[in-house]
Amino acid sequence: MATSSAISTTASAAPQPSVQSGLWSWLTTVDHKRIGLLYLYTALFYLLVGGLEALLIRTQLARPNLSVVSAEMYNQLFTMHGTTMVFLVVMPLSAAFFNYLIPLQIGARDVAFPRLNAFSYWVYALGGLFITLPIFFGLAPNGGWFGYAPLSGPTYGGGYNMDFWVLGLQILGISSLAAAFNFITTIINMRAPGMTLMRMPMFTWMSFVVQFLIVLAFPVITAALFFLQFDRFFGTNFYQVQAGGDPLLWQHLFWVFGHPEVYILVLPAFGLVSEVLPTHSRKPLFGYNVMAFSGMMIGFLGFGVWAHHMFAVGMGPVADSIFAVTTMLIGIPTGVKIFNWIATMYGGSLRFPTSMKFAIGLIAMFTIGGISGVMHSSPPSDLQQTDTYFIVAHFHYVLYGGAIMGIFAGIYHYFPKITGRLMNERLGSWHFWLNFIGLNLTFFPMHFSGMLGMPRRIYTYDAGQGWDLFNMISTVGTYLLLVAGLIFAYNFFSSRKRGAVAGNDPWGGATLEWSIPSPPPEYNFAQIPEVTSRYPMWDLKAPDRTASLEHVHPSADDIAAAHAVPVHEETERRSAKELGIAIPFSTIRPFMVALGIIIMFSGLIVLHVGEFPLAMAAMLGGSAFMVGSLYAWLTSPLE
Amino acid sequence: MSTSHLRRVAPVAVLALVLLALAACGGDYPNSTFSHNTTLNDGAVFLWDRMMLLGTIVFVVVEVLLVYTMIKFRRREGGPAPRQTHGNAALEITWTAIPALILVFLAVPTVKTIFENQRKAPAESLQVEVIGHQWWWEFRYPEYGIVTANELYLPIGKTVDFSLQTRDVLHSFWVPQLGGKRDLIANRVNHIWFTPKATMQPTALNGACVEYCGSSHANMRFRTFAVTPAEFDKWVAHQKTVALGSPAASVTTADSAVKEKPIVPLKTASLISLPTSAPTAAPEAWSFPAERMPAYTLPSTPLPATKFDETLLAAGDPKAGRELLTNPANLGKAPCLTCHVIRGETNYANDDQAKGPNLTHIGTRHTFAAGLYRLDAKALALWIKNAPAMKPGSVMPTFGAGEYNAMIKQAVPAAAGLDDRQIADIVAYLRSLK
Repeated sequence: MATSSAISTTASAAPQPSVQSGLWSWLTTVDHKRIGLLYLYTALFYLLVGGLEALLIRTQLARPNLSVVSAEMYNQLFTMHGTTMVFLVVMPLSAAFFNYLIPLQIGARDVAFPRLNAFSYWVYALGGLFITLPIFFGLAPNGGWFGYAPLSGPTYGGGYNMDFWVLGLQILGISSLAAAFNFITTIINMRAPGMTLMRMPMFTWMSFVVQFLIVLAFPVITAALFFLQFDRFFGTNFYQVQAGGDPLLWQHLFWVFGHPEVYILVLPAFGLVSEVLPTHSRKPLFGYNVMAFSGMMIGFLGFGVWAHHMFAVGMGPVADSIFAVTTMLIGIPTGVKIFNWIATMYGGSLRFPTSMKFAIGLIAMFTIGGISGVMHSSPPSDLQQTDTYFIVAHFHYVLYGGAIMGIFAGIYHYFPKITGRLMNERLGSWHFWLNFIGLNLTFFPMHFSGMLGMPRRIYTYDAGQGWDLFNMISTVGTYLLLVAGLIFAYNFFSSRKRGAVAGNDPWGGATLEWSIPSPPPEYNFAQIPEVTSRYPMWDLKAPDRTASLEHVHPSADDIAAAHAVPVHEETERRSAKELGIAIPFSTIRPFMVALGIIIMFSGLIVLHVGEFPLAMAAMLGGSAFMVGSLYAWLTSPLE
Repeated sequence: MSTSHLRRVAPVAVLALVLLALAACGGDYPNSTFSHNTTLNDGAVFLWDRMMLLGTIVFVVVEVLLVYTMIKFRRREGGPAPRQTHGNAALEITWTAIPALILVFLAVPTVKTIFENQRKAPAESLQVEVIGHQWWWEFRYPEYGIVTANELYLPIGKTVDFSLQTRDVLHSFWVPQLGGKRDLIANRVNHIWFTPKATMQPTALNGACVEYCGSSHANMRFRTFAVTPAEFDKWVAHQKTVALGSPAASVTTADSAVKEKPIVPLKTASLISLPTSAPTAAPEAWSFPAERMPAYTLPSTPLPATKFDETLLAAGDPKAGRELLTNPANLGKAPCLTCHVIRGETNYANDDQAKGPNLTHIGTRHTFAAGLYRLDAKALALWIKNAPAMKPGSVMPTFGAGEYNAMIKQAVPAAAGLDDRQIADIVAYLRSLK
């Protein structure tokens, strides 16, 4: 087949150091892989931050009536734990994979808008600092990650705490939206010839769905936050109850965003697992079409279930019934995914590297979160569960047992592609098992404490309520998770330099990213490959596996259009210049625009402090800096 | 390697979970949601049982399939290459249809129960107004003109129709043993109703705020006393009056309630039905007997390190305490009645304006500060001396001379604060308010 030669399968002898290094190169990079790495490292750092917050929370709750931290500090900790894990850890970890993998999986040389991509990262990185640093001054947000009005408003949430939250979330939303448009454009326009939508790797599929969820859900939270921001800074009355404002407006808007957000967090992990399971089962994904459509179905139904977070509000029997039924329905496509994953493994030839353990761990643990999720769908019963630790147990099985397990599977699976070296399997095994046991020790007892009457978000509880044992076990589990995390960190950093050399395709992967050297050259593909089926690498290496699939060959015109670059037989480590591939110039401007935005938003905080001239200077100066940098960005050539 | 791991670890994990489940089912759990004290609970437990059954079946099927697959199909050296299957429409339709079918068995009773629970309350129900404050509970019985705080009395066998309001942020009303929760939403009146079953034994139960409401959300608890109808009537008869043991009662007799003129007219209709004629005989004080309170309803919150000369407590003089509270000359030092109401005394705020709990019958209560402390002399004295030290964020100011007042960020000056003897007198007065 003519297309075979396009896919290089030569293993590189040893990974070579990146040509670019130094702080400046990282600040100015527009390479999707380096930006992916920036996302990865930043999000892993915040995982540590959010984990330490959880550790303090659990230490405070280990026994009744403890005072390890004050009530006020506890409230800041649980608010920041939620905010951090959702916006600064799981979403950016997913973004790390979007960045790194989507262009590689679809056979592209970069994302559609490389500089916008850098901008997204810098807004995230600086916005993360904006919302995280205040905790060192006791000024961290303290109104919960859900920020219910009127507690988050100026009357009951005075001070600067919730200012940082409102503005921080606005900033982070800019990042998510810019990235989402970028990836949608990338996936629609930049797929290699022959890669129809229904041939995209499942991770790309799930990412595609997630970008639409972000584009549709984030404007809602942005509007909700603008109302709150205006209430807090400019004296409007959207949620001000004394002036007749409606706190339920916030709840509806927040959850119209908040529920799709759950799928924004978990679908990328589903995608990663859908890459790992077939590879290590030596079988194609079972029911590819159904997997893709169930992902879309979950995303679609995800917008129609928001009010199940609000059954205690008293919406009336009709609304309660409708949201009960839609919530139940969403269990169906989710269940289909679970069964299809198991069917993928069934009859396979299973190998259990750490990535596979985490992938299977996701199936096992997410199932628990899924079942308890269906339990919340029944309002009469949910009224006993909502706002108790039962809910805390549920969503940690979804987000830790689902999203985090899937992301760990992805990290172990793609580490060799990213660094050219394998992670240590023995340490990986320790990490997995301690994580697995710690996860269950921490979160399973919360089912019991919740159904036995323990409310959420309480910084202390009285003795003799029947909750002591469960809380103690949860706390012990959290410390185990810390140990697991430290083992992972050691493994991650030591394997970068000392891990076994991986080669291009250590796992026998099916998709395009395994055809190129590890780590990939900055241009990714010396020649844009042609895709003949869902599993181009297996077409090449194990054609028997894909023989039963329909193969559609692109037309000669398509190929001609895609092949601006002549075929180079030995493309290993040739520079882009040698190959005649245009690479976008690195530029500091996206960073500067992001910085301008942060300065502009900081002006509002200064305004609240009461320094009017300084505030105006920051806001106007920040805006001018942003607009100026943006102008410079737009007028400088891309490549 | 990993399957042997799994074989070793899996039984231990399963055993641990089973033990935990047994612990959860066997022990003494005073706030369990699995009681059958109301029909709300019956519905919730019925649905729970069904979901638990269906959920367990799904869980076992998934996990058994998963573990079986992991063991059966693990890679063996020289084993045959796996058959390449890309899907199976019949199978996939089956495992789409079966969960859908399962959900029908959940959806039908769910919708049925929703509509049953949310019917209108029977007209003859006892009306109770629940008002949330940061961070305490106000309970009003508008039919009887009773306003009380943090301790809710309910007659067994009678339907109670709660109307829920908040004076500030959102709260949520929950007595796990009596049914699901309902939020208190600003600018709205919310409703929930249930009937403590006639078969229920009189007892004390715990309740809590379950919507995050700020600093002391964890400290916004309350007690519910489910009592016999006869006991409830006794309690009502007494609560309607002014306090029996108070000097106010001995000086002006029980009909002072009639003469009471609130400074500002009441805004809500709830308080208008005060007694219109003097009761013929002062009813006997009755509240739920302390000796019948189960241990889990007795708070064990540790007291703060605030210093207090406890020997003064026994010698506290209720008359002197009353003088401190009611003489306008002392308003600067002891402005209690600007935020609290004691019916029969000259109040500076009515119940709709009061920032703190109504104290008319505080001497009959078992707990205070939203169920955070037992109502004993020492705890009460420490509270008056420095309330924010006992309940983070409390709007009750620091009154003890020399105590650090977080609100004004300095110690209370000796001249402006109360000394320990004065506090002991006030405590004696409050405790006399039976």
